[in-house]
Amino acid sequence: MKLAAVTACPSGVAHTYLAAESLEVAAKKNNVEIKVETQGSIGIENELTPEWIKEVDAIILTNNIGIKNEERFKGKPIVRISAGDCINKADAIIKKLMEKLG
Amino acid sequence: MEVITRELVDLNLEATSVKEVVLSLGERIESIGRLSNFDGYIDSVMEREELTSTGIGFGIAIPHGKSEHVTSCTVAFARLTSPIEWESLDEQPVKIVFLLAVPEACKGDEHLKIIAALSRKLIHEDFRQQLETLEDEQELVEMINETLANAITK
Repeated sequence: MKLAAVTACPSGVAHTYLAAESLEVAAKKNNVEIKVETQGSIGIENELTPEWIKEVDAIILTNNIGIKNEERFKGKPIVRISAGDCINKADAIIKKLMEKLG
Repeated sequence: MEVITRELVDLNLEATSVKEVVLSLGERIESIGRLSNFDGYIDSVMEREELTSTGIGFGIAIPHGKSEHVTSCTVAFARLTSPIEWESLDEQPVKIVFLLAVPEACKGDEHLKIIAALSRKLIHEDFRQQLETLEDEQELVEMINETLANAITK
């Protein structure tokens, strides 16, 4: 399974990166390939490429604040989760996606 | 100049409120000459705290102030003798605190990069465990400096 994610948070920057790292760690643990773009106060980092977006089975977006350039994901299954849940429940989120998407 | 030094580490900080923690760590930052106006800096940290809590979960908080009263980018670290309430995301009390001091004229987004680098590292349980258990201040300083080196040299 391949995944993409975009994380962002309305205040500060910590949660953007906590959520990104947490998803990356959980994905690795479950042998899932994931690329995570961060949209923090620093700006956009690790921007997802169109090639990767085309390949992935689903996209995870944090829903605490609007995600920039969301139109690139048109036609892809999108899962919206709070940054807080990404941080604290990343493993369960990845496992559930594996179950659903195979 | 090192972002964190031994003088900026307190492994047994006794405090009962966020303000007390910020004041105590702020005094350490002032003691090595990195603040031009102590009160002004403390105000900037508390104002930021009022916007939203900097308690990021896992028993950790990263209060920070960007201010003209700071002379160079600095991180102070404290382990609290008893956990205190910080209105954290996961509602857990805080026992580990990083206080950041960032000069107004700091080039680019240095303090944001520090928080970003720290945040990523804090997801890793082994890193958190070292923050909670390392007894040697110098070892802790070196570990944190190493973590932040990449974020700051960019």
